[in-house]
Amino acid sequence: MQRRNFLKLCGTSGLGFAVPVGLSSIARAQGAKAELPSYNGPYYVVFNAAGGWDTTYLMDPKGMNKMNRLYKEGDILTQGRHRLAPNRAHIKAGMSNEDFFKKHGDDLLVLNGLDYSVNNHSPCSRYMATGKLDSLAYPTFAALVAACNGPDVPLAFLTFGNYSATGNLVPMARVPYLQSLNRLANADGVNGSTRSNYHDDFVSDRIERALEKQMQARVAKVRLPRVERSQSMLYAAQLNSKALERVTPFIPKTSPKERLSRQADIALASFKSGVCVSANLSIGQFDSHANNDRDQMKLIPEFLAGIDYLVNRAEELKIRDKLVIIIQSEMARTPSYNNNNGKDHWSIGSIMFMGSGIKGNRVVGATDEKHFLVPINPKSLSTDREKGIRVRPEHIHASLREFAGIHNHTFAKQFPLKVPGEEQLRGLLR
Amino acid sequence: MILIRQRMLFPGLLMVLLVLSWGIAGGAIATALASGNEKPGDVPQRPSSKDSKSRSKAANHRGPHRLVVDKFFADEVWAKVGKRTCLKCHNVKGDASDSKFLLLNPARDPMKRDEAMWLNRAAFLRMATAKAKGKSRLLVKITGGLNHGGEGVLKANSTGYRILERFVRRMSRPDKGPPITDLDAPPFFDGIVMMPPRRLLRRVTLSLVGRLPTKEERAAIEKGGLKSLGTSLDGMMREDAFYARLREAFNDILLIRGYDGVAERALSYEHFKTRLWYQDLNPRKGLSLEKARELFPYSHPKMIAHTKLVREYREGMRREPLELVAYIVRNDRPFTELVTADYIMVSPYTARGYGIYEKLKGKFDNPNDPFEFIPTKIKALQSRNGRQTQESATGFYPHAGLLSSFQYLKRYPTTETNRNRLRIRMFFEHFLGIDILAMAPRVNDAAAITAKYEIPTMQAADCVVCHKVMDPIAGLFQDYYVVDGKGIYGPRKEGWYEDMFSPGLEGEALPKDEQWRSLQWLGERTARDPRFAIAMVKHVWHILTGRKPLLPPENIDDPLFIAKHRAYRVQRDEIERIADQFTEANFNLKVVFKEWVQSKFYRVDGLAIAVKEPRRLAELDDIGVVRMLTPEQLERKLTAIFGKKWGRMTDRESKFKILYGGIDSKEVTERLTDPSGAMGAIQRIMANDIACKNVAPDFSLRPEKRRLFPNIEPNVVPGANAKSDKQIRRAIVHLHKLILGRFDTTDDPEVQRTYDLFAGIVKDAKSRKGISKVESYSCQTLAEKTPRDPDPDYTIRAWRAVVTYLLRQHEFLYE
Repeated sequence: MQRRNFLKLCGTSGLGFAVPVGLSSIARAQGAKAELPSYNGPYYVVFNAAGGWDTTYLMDPKGMNKMNRLYKEGDILTQGRHRLAPNRAHIKAGMSNEDFFKKHGDDLLVLNGLDYSVNNHSPCSRYMATGKLDSLAYPTFAALVAACNGPDVPLAFLTFGNYSATGNLVPMARVPYLQSLNRLANADGVNGSTRSNYHDDFVSDRIERALEKQMQARVAKVRLPRVERSQSMLYAAQLNSKALERVTPFIPKTSPKERLSRQADIALASFKSGVCVSANLSIGQFDSHANNDRDQMKLIPEFLAGIDYLVNRAEELKIRDKLVIIIQSEMARTPSYNNNNGKDHWSIGSIMFMGSGIKGNRVVGATDEKHFLVPINPKSLSTDREKGIRVRPEHIHASLREFAGIHNHTFAKQFPLKVPGEEQLRGLLR
Repeated sequence: MILIRQRMLFPGLLMVLLVLSWGIAGGAIATALASGNEKPGDVPQRPSSKDSKSRSKAANHRGPHRLVVDKFFADEVWAKVGKRTCLKCHNVKGDASDSKFLLLNPARDPMKRDEAMWLNRAAFLRMATAKAKGKSRLLVKITGGLNHGGEGVLKANSTGYRILERFVRRMSRPDKGPPITDLDAPPFFDGIVMMPPRRLLRRVTLSLVGRLPTKEERAAIEKGGLKSLGTSLDGMMREDAFYARLREAFNDILLIRGYDGVAERALSYEHFKTRLWYQDLNPRKGLSLEKARELFPYSHPKMIAHTKLVREYREGMRREPLELVAYIVRNDRPFTELVTADYIMVSPYTARGYGIYEKLKGKFDNPNDPFEFIPTKIKALQSRNGRQTQESATGFYPHAGLLSSFQYLKRYPTTETNRNRLRIRMFFEHFLGIDILAMAPRVNDAAAITAKYEIPTMQAADCVVCHKVMDPIAGLFQDYYVVDGKGIYGPRKEGWYEDMFSPGLEGEALPKDEQWRSLQWLGERTARDPRFAIAMVKHVWHILTGRKPLLPPENIDDPLFIAKHRAYRVQRDEIERIADQFTEANFNLKVVFKEWVQSKFYRVDGLAIAVKEPRRLAELDDIGVVRMLTPEQLERKLTAIFGKKWGRMTDRESKFKILYGGIDSKEVTERLTDPSGAMGAIQRIMANDIACKNVAPDFSLRPEKRRLFPNIEPNVVPGANAKSDKQIRRAIVHLHKLILGRFDTTDDPEVQRTYDLFAGIVKDAKSRKGISKVESYSCQTLAEKTPRDPDPDYTIRAWRAVVTYLLRQHEFLYE
């Protein structure tokens, strides 16, 4: 009752969720029946290797020109259409490239030769996350898709780090501890108890109805834009928070030790229970200016193991077919080593995708023997040194928006990417 | 005319590529740094207007002014093209410094803004009227003609080009184009309602000192209105609570508490043998592990005391730089000491860490107070083996406020590849208010440029433009070059890098004999920089509202560009006005707080009439404080209202702090400003629990001791008679005032809604069977009390519901 009233309230008042509290398509579809909002996929996960990964030790192997000390050009492996750097012999934990590509290669789309355009962490992170280099106002893809698809679910956009701007479209949620979700699930129970509530049910109902009436009265009043936005966001946050009670059954009893796995568990429990649309998962320390090989051989396997964990757990939860996974870093590493056996920042890199609707076992784009970008034809996606374009984050984001079906959404149009039609990457993901 | 090519920095293959964009708020950094000494080549000079009060307000101006430029130039030519495009190179220090078309950055020195705008217009006018092949040179150059050094900057069909075209056209004939700016736009704050002084007072006391207004303050505001607020603010800014708030707020900005490792590691192993002084006091010292555990388990009083001592020492160490902020403000010292103070703050415990306690102990009021801080200087650093002493003409460590603070330098450490450049980024952000990485123009092929030059940062034009500004400052920090956070002070063994521009600031080289005090040299110049005052005013705005000031709009094709730019400009004008006051008050930061609090920006309360027009809505989009309280603010507010701390938001074991958008200063550094569902759940938990813990206990007190219900008893039931109903309404008015800060009459619709809630619950309870006649076990006055609080009419529980309802409201959770 309350939820239906609220949606009606917002619709008739002109609040219309043109402000941060959004009326998701799911909620619209279910509005008449659902008491609380629920989002049922697809779920978007952005894995971020913060600090800058060495793509020549992963999906864009070289081995020549002293670019890699741990393998030679002739050691490069293939898995389906993928070429990968061998690293099984050099890692102590995590998942090797060999195992990762063997297991997921058929689902994996790799794009090599991505032009990050700049070489510093902060603007690169922003650019990769939003598709816009020169603006602080743009939302990340994860935030945008959450705002378009399910802004009224309580943890619509979860983030565990990395650049996470929301463009004021949707609240960002941080849930650092899995068990804290348990505590939030029963906000009306004394100390979270499910058996003993603070108020009798009829009292709780009265309180909610009073708040609803108050919201109705406020919508009818003349308000400043900031007041209008914040009142609707607050009301929705409290009302929709009740949906968190659905998370409890999906919270694992124990929490894994690995950084990404812990994040994945929180995201998956939130996806499965219909309270989340997208999540930024991130681990750092990839910035290997010293001892590049040592660091990358530790972190890449940890990173891949985290992705693998997410996919496996999603399988167990029966939502794997609803996951869309973007695997990225904000920059790559130089083609040569510095005096500290490290590698510095390099503006040409790669990105990977897998999941629902993404055509796998494909490699798009390339870099040359000096790790410079080879342009591609945006229509055929084949390399074209003469007439091709340099693929940049805005091209990727335009494809992602189109793939997610949000490219014509009002929110997306508020933050245009301005990719000319002739530069749209045709069929990149599908 | 030369226009900047896409700018970027490339420190070369062997170093971090640190990209600096000069495209910043108010103009590009390169031009922002082209500062007060600029003298445009052939631009005619006009008398300088130094009187800040005489500055025009382009966005608001309604009458003639000696130096006011027309709105078309200000809002279109300058805002959309000149500032964003031409100024990057066409300034005295830019790539086009040898051009005759030189511009000034009006944002660089607010005192001269109108003059700069006037001169810029003159420069544009000359270019517009000069002809080349029968066409305006301005239009030819901007599209790459006449060997324009910056090549084609605007395409002929672009918005920017069309603006310039119209500017040229307006020179010779009447402008028949569409209206560009509403010349008769009403004053910016027309139709905006300001907050009544008594509510403003409550907002300020809660915000700055975490309490409700005192009786004296309330009386003063009732009598003197807004004018009396200044006196009240003076009083608040003498309270300890204000300085706790100031420390918290400046940590939000500086994040200085978040440095790596245990706190005493701010003092390096090499220079401070005494940093682990507490180990000598450990009861377990000298005992085997087994014996130590047996004799002194952690539950032993001596171990508890020792653990407390260590914790307080570490807290003091992290707090030191923030105590500097507090000390400067408390003592009305110039806030420029933030970068010039030739002293640090130490507590009795941290003084022991420096090894100077014995000399100082007589200066402490209470040497046993771990959080009493006093200023002192430390001697020039000596190596652990005593063989090397830091060069110093005075014999003291060359203190330069935060610039030389061990904690600050440790929070922003350097590396072999970074070469102090992170510190420079933070220097610009914290002390000059410039985010040098805010926007990073791309180059066509960054990787190719990196590979092409041996030292791109000194050779590639795209890199040099920024590194020639940044790297000299990095060189000023060269003596603080212990990499990877393992220490602070220590020059590089091989000498400073030769593949970087030599140490200095804005073209001024650091004199050799000043090198030992290079950070003091930097601090002195920073303090004189007009941007310092602007930055501090912006910091205080951030403290008061939880958000940064507006940035200028980016998209010149946006139909709301002018409206958004006006909003930015009006706010910027206010920032500059307050910066002037701050400067004139010898940089007393209290003046900035007082000016902001009394400014319209802080006092905005609502709209007098509905606004439907999109342009006006865009102008008002950011107006009003409307800030969701942080976990710390929420705790303080609860304490102020209910008289006791809840604790679950901020206690050390609390899991809610980060969930509710708080920060840890290290991994989580940005506060959340909008509530997610998780935060909505916490709000519900808080409202339920606070009501539970306070309602029945309040009724159990004598009426004169009660905070919540001083004028009503549980036996007053709704609907019994007119008197009881009136009494209930009065009780509601009291709760609204106490919890929400509302000043309602008994017939206010909000009072009616609360009354309906109360009465409805009592009625429901009466009509139901099996309802208990006592308050619930969990919410009774005392856990062990038997019998529980009698509640035969369900009124205690209904009042608890009312308090829960009020605590969930916007007026409580936001300021």
